[in-house]
Amino acid sequence: MPTSSKGTKKTVAKPSSHIKIKINGCWHNFEPERDITPTMTLSYLLREKLGYTGLKVSCDEGGCGACTVILDGKAILSCMMLAVAANGHEILTIEGLEKNDPVVEAFAEQCEPGYGTALQCGICTPGFVMSTKALLNENPIPTMAEVKEALSGHICRCGCYAGIAQAVTHASEKIARKGDVS
Amino acid sequence: MKQPFTPRPNSNRKFVGGYRPKIDAWEKARGKVEYVDDITLAKRFPGMLYAKVLRSPHAHARIKTIDVSRAQKLAGVISVMTYKDPEFTSLRPTNAGWTDGVDTVSYDGKMWNQFNDRRVLGDYACWVTDEVGAVVAAESEAIADEAIRLIDVQWEVLPFVLDPLEAMKPGAPLVHPEMTPNNVLPPEKMGGDDVFLNKGDVDADFAKAEVIVDGTSVHHNATQASLDNWCCLVDWTDEKFTLYSNSFEADQTRMHISQMLDLPLHKVAVISSYVGGQFGRGDTGEQPFFLFTAILSKKTGRPVKFKHTRRESFHDSRQPSIYYGKVGAKKDGTITSLYFKSIGNTGAYADHSIFALKFAPMEISEVSFAHIPNVKLESYAVYTNKLPACMMRGVGNSQFNLIFGHMVDLLAERLDMDPIDLCIKNFGHEWETLPDKSLTQVLKIGAQKIGWSKKRNKPGQGPFFEKTKKRGVGFSLHPAWHAEWQEVRRGRIPISITLNPDGTVILDAPTVETGTGSNTCNVLGCAESLSFLGVTPEKIHWNHVVNTDTSLKDCVQTDSAVSYLQSEVIATVVEEIRREVLERAEPVLKAKPKDMDIVDGRIFVRKKPDQGISLKDLLFQGDLVPIVVTRNRLVNAEKTGVPYFANFAEVEVDTDTGKVDVLHLVVINDCGTVMFASGAEAQQVGGQVMGLGETLTEEIIYDEVTGVPLNFNFIDYKIPTMADMPDIDPILLEIWQGAGEYGACGIGEGTLTCTPRAIMNAIYNAIGVRINDIPIKPEKVLRALGKV
Repeated sequence: MPTSSKGTKKTVAKPSSHIKIKINGCWHNFEPERDITPTMTLSYLLREKLGYTGLKVSCDEGGCGACTVILDGKAILSCMMLAVAANGHEILTIEGLEKNDPVVEAFAEQCEPGYGTALQCGICTPGFVMSTKALLNENPIPTMAEVKEALSGHICRCGCYAGIAQAVTHASEKIARKGDVS
Repeated sequence: MKQPFTPRPNSNRKFVGGYRPKIDAWEKARGKVEYVDDITLAKRFPGMLYAKVLRSPHAHARIKTIDVSRAQKLAGVISVMTYKDPEFTSLRPTNAGWTDGVDTVSYDGKMWNQFNDRRVLGDYACWVTDEVGAVVAAESEAIADEAIRLIDVQWEVLPFVLDPLEAMKPGAPLVHPEMTPNNVLPPEKMGGDDVFLNKGDVDADFAKAEVIVDGTSVHHNATQASLDNWCCLVDWTDEKFTLYSNSFEADQTRMHISQMLDLPLHKVAVISSYVGGQFGRGDTGEQPFFLFTAILSKKTGRPVKFKHTRRESFHDSRQPSIYYGKVGAKKDGTITSLYFKSIGNTGAYADHSIFALKFAPMEISEVSFAHIPNVKLESYAVYTNKLPACMMRGVGNSQFNLIFGHMVDLLAERLDMDPIDLCIKNFGHEWETLPDKSLTQVLKIGAQKIGWSKKRNKPGQGPFFEKTKKRGVGFSLHPAWHAEWQEVRRGRIPISITLNPDGTVILDAPTVETGTGSNTCNVLGCAESLSFLGVTPEKIHWNHVVNTDTSLKDCVQTDSAVSYLQSEVIATVVEEIRREVLERAEPVLKAKPKDMDIVDGRIFVRKKPDQGISLKDLLFQGDLVPIVVTRNRLVNAEKTGVPYFANFAEVEVDTDTGKVDVLHLVVINDCGTVMFASGAEAQQVGGQVMGLGETLTEEIIYDEVTGVPLNFNFIDYKIPTMADMPDIDPILLEIWQGAGEYGACGIGEGTLTCTPRAIMNAIYNAIGVRINDIPIKPEKVLRALGKV
């Protein structure tokens, strides 16, 4: 099974058939075929093999955003990427966020009158949270048009878009207060 | 700046009605909440297999021969079973609509017992995608899929029909000849005859009415599209049967399995946890796939998981209906006769069609048309070879409102009257005189918020914006007929409260949390009732897993009523807790319970307030056994009328491109009592995604030549995203009040019932041409404007 090593130093890598993916700060080594088959999606690897169930697979074809994770700082759809293609890259799943992550807090806390909550059933929430993380990393004070553009690849069937938009604004404010755009 | 709602004067609630996060918000925002697909990961169930079912590629076909030998030989396939196996031939035919969720019913007590048109696994398919013929259990999903492809079937392909009007014609292909000789579902006891309401004499009144208007409206196969695809795992490797699923009815699912597989109830455990959206899908969950998954588990001696792909989750839909309406009135706007006739596209299986077509309209008429002397309702549910229609959020109401709001707008225009005044003049409820207080307030407040008097044009006569765009406003209104006395059918609602020695609380108020926020309502109701003991919401733990072995019977998320039903019973349980606390204090404070009082967690002697003890000090004496009270009771059934709700819309229509943009939606619900304001507003705002989607963008499209549905995916079935939604104003009112501690009413379904018609009336107000079939896509607008 995959092995982890924290803080691996960058050395001149020997040519290796291993697939290495950094997940939530830890490098994992995978053996092709045994751990990762050529057709395996990144979402399958993360959920079914490694148990990162925060990301959800609903449509499995890039239509809903529930499987969003962050790859090298950018939000990506993990159902649309082959696991082998993540070789050498750095993945952040929602499990890798701090408990008091400002985006997580803002989504959880939203209850401002007139907008509803930022989540109801919660199944789309991790995807929205990860896209918001990526957005605010790049653009710490987005306009509402930019928020809508960044999050319009996600479906929330409970329809909490207004609450989500408030949560993004509040997360942006929290980050500004913390002076932390990690 | 948005404003919080205004509570009823002197309500003095501490927690109920508050703006606050959902109790599960942090877990959900951190991705910690586990849904059934997470709970049933392979690593948690050693030896687990995956099931797949053969699906019909034809709209209507029967299996002539089936050969599974190639599938059986595939490495990794553990079992292939067919409809010929005794495990399946021995099962009784069934349907997927045993109950509307209000009550638990047996096989014989099914709501639509006459329509046992489904086999758990048979040789007959009546829509493309139908589960038929064979099931496979294999080591992986991919192997199971491959095995299904290796099954050789010779089909007897039968002629099919998609359109209900075609299906009603003589000589049309018959979908279930054993049920009906003409595809029309025969009358039965719950829904009544084809003419299921005939009050007064509409024909005689139409003959003498001063004004008559009539028209049609068409609603379509919108789908629930919960992101949490159907999924279950059955472990029936021993005598004990355990089902993990995202069914939203644990107790009813247990009954379904027990009755279908002839198992005693104590040998069946049904476990449901968080569900990622429900919206009425799958009716009430009596789905055949639970049973074939179970049979595969028994056969293989291993746990078996079955889950739908996204495509397969296009499995249920709203009942599409064609409505004809006719209204007779006096010149002063008094409505004297109403006639509605509907033809519903039931699709391949009957399920809950009659609920949508007869049950709901009957209830609406009884409460809202009570003051109209002549009312006639007529309906025909018609089998076709389409996706089955079933329960969907606002079942029957959305379709009925489409014609009801149309008639209101048409008649008001003919009379040159404001449709708001027309509604106030005519509609109310049967237990009170007109005008109805709730209805009047709902409309007046909504009108003010949308800017009704300022923005309303003579139809199509408003100014152009940006050269080609026209704006208009519209509304529609509906009664929350399920409020209160309908809930009597639920029977007893059980609640258990454990008061720990340290003053914290375990609340057993089981319901499958589908996102509605009723869990938070329960916690707030519990804190409210227990606030005299110093209990706050933070001190209450609500059990989110419903396990029929260990939980009380779950209260099902239908009628959006769990938001208050359990809190009503909680208030009763708390009276018992208070009594027991005082009993325990009796020897300590040496006073009779009647002479003591409890305030903010301190028990004291009324006449000597200094003589007291804190709850914790009291309970930490002696055996430290928590106080546990379990009670069940019927809900209140006093007749107190019903509240109303309405939606107002402002739209902008581009007369060059036909595109409709909704600029503003106002959603007004009279709740009786607001249990949890943030949750209720989330329902109001959130419901508009489904409501706006089914009005403008969502539509299942079939290839008419083959009957194949073409867009069972989230790319082509267009659900509105954040970029598509307008500004929405949710308005909560406490005008009407029902019986009981709170006298509340569920609102979740009612938030979107009026959305389509409100938008349609606004479109008419903008362009002066009516479009009465949804979804209203640009080409329909251009056609209506004579530009195509």
